[in-house]
Amino acid sequence: MTLTILQPGVQATLQGTPRIGARHLGVPASGPADPLSMALANRLVGNASDATAIEITFGGAAIRFDTPVSFAVTGAQSALAFAGRVVALHAAHTAQAGDELHIAPARQGCRVYVAIAANIDANVFLGSTSTYLPAALGGHEGRALKAGDTINLASVCVIPSMETPEDLHPVCSNSYALRAVEGPDFPASARRMWDETFTVTRRASRMGVELEGAFPHIPEDASHPSAAIFPGALQLPLGGRGFLLLADAQTTGGYPHLLQVIRADRHLLGQVRPGDRIRFLHRTQQQASDALRAKQALLSAWLPDFHL
Amino acid sequence: MNDPAITFCGDDALRLSAPDRDGRLARARQLRTTGDWLEVVPGRRDVTVQFDPLRHTPTEALAYLSHTLATPAPPPSRTRETVELPVHFGGKNGPDLADISNRTGLSEAELVSRLLSEPLQIDMLGFTPGFAYMSGLDDMIEIPRLLQPRQQVPAGSIGLITGQCGLYALAGPGGWPIIGRTRVSLFDPVSDKPFRLQPGMQVRLVDAAAS
Repeated sequence: MTLTILQPGVQATLQGTPRIGARHLGVPASGPADPLSMALANRLVGNASDATAIEITFGGAAIRFDTPVSFAVTGAQSALAFAGRVVALHAAHTAQAGDELHIAPARQGCRVYVAIAANIDANVFLGSTSTYLPAALGGHEGRALKAGDTINLASVCVIPSMETPEDLHPVCSNSYALRAVEGPDFPASARRMWDETFTVTRRASRMGVELEGAFPHIPEDASHPSAAIFPGALQLPLGGRGFLLLADAQTTGGYPHLLQVIRADRHLLGQVRPGDRIRFLHRTQQQASDALRAKQALLSAWLPDFHL
Repeated sequence: MNDPAITFCGDDALRLSAPDRDGRLARARQLRTTGDWLEVVPGRRDVTVQFDPLRHTPTEALAYLSHTLATPAPPPSRTRETVELPVHFGGKNGPDLADISNRTGLSEAELVSRLLSEPLQIDMLGFTPGFAYMSGLDDMIEIPRLLQPRQQVPAGSIGLITGQCGLYALAGPGGWPIIGRTRVSLFDPVSDKPFRLQPGMQVRLVDAAAS
């Protein structure tokens, strides 16, 4: 039982659970850039929240189902054509053998998730199927999907149609307000950062996105010995443009770590695309903790096994 | 914050200042055994722990860390594993060795013999899978990073910057001047033990041309 990638779009990879506990060996988390959208797609087809699914950057992709199977699509706002009709995001659909799903280029947001009511065959490294391209780990032969790739499916299911509750549809936008706490290298001169709007440049990947705007001046002789860094960190390299880290980010770094986007809002980073505008909202550690619990409580009825 | 050695590193991580290498790695091992932390990552001057903020509030995480730190870390095992790596220095394998020689006024042979004179200590792994940060030449020998990072550095390449030596386990982009290369596989994802090198080990470089 298989599905075939007809068009992968700009970049399509298999992603599953993140790799946790190996950053001291240089192994990044990987996993979906927007874990909430992937969990919502998996929920619609009866999978665990972190079951292996297809992550498609900017949409513009097509898949053929070679066996009867249910699927669901979430994430970036994209028109879907399935077996010749228009279908909706955030709903489970069932394909017959030979049916094609065409995902139009995303109008807003960055990453589309396709979950399949099946076990998607993928390489496993350190207990995770998530693709990490720089080291060819996990996924389909450790690489991005290509046109003509055949993905093996096991335990294929056809399930009744279901929709994500309306109030849980994430909102894609071209402008994000991300809650953040001060990072360990936040300088006193940086207070104005909270009033600035930053723009995402074309340097954007699963490792991170570059931001342009009025960043504080950090003296070049300021010493920052290499130290741990995590997704959600806003670093300021020497060139004066910020770099906001995503799921595949390096595990250690030596650039000033100005801000940390709080865990409650980190899933939004996976939908940020070049040209989008970003503001940072100042929060304390306690506010970050409260915000996380509040968002988690909203999600837990529909996604009982999902943790932000 | 009560302990001046601990700072927050975002909303779900804490950083413990630990300048001494052996003490730092011993702390990292101790913290890893408690099961309180998602990640325990030694840096060059500190150890950072990441916690699950749904399990622990920031105040609780701080209390757990302080509690563990109240007990001295078990001393490192007396036998330190040493890995021997044959290295091809200079030329195509080490395209920046000649430039470092010109810049520092030390001959290529002198630079290499200084690196071979004693085992290099692995401070930490990081950046990308298996990349090892090791002790390097004397801090007084100034070696800046490349102005333009390379798009592709071959796996096994050895880089040198001021005070540090780095081993590229994977092929990929890199900004350290490259002085040589080992053919030994440092990262093998299909092996039972994918990582040849670990923090706390020492590496003895051997001149492959001399053997």
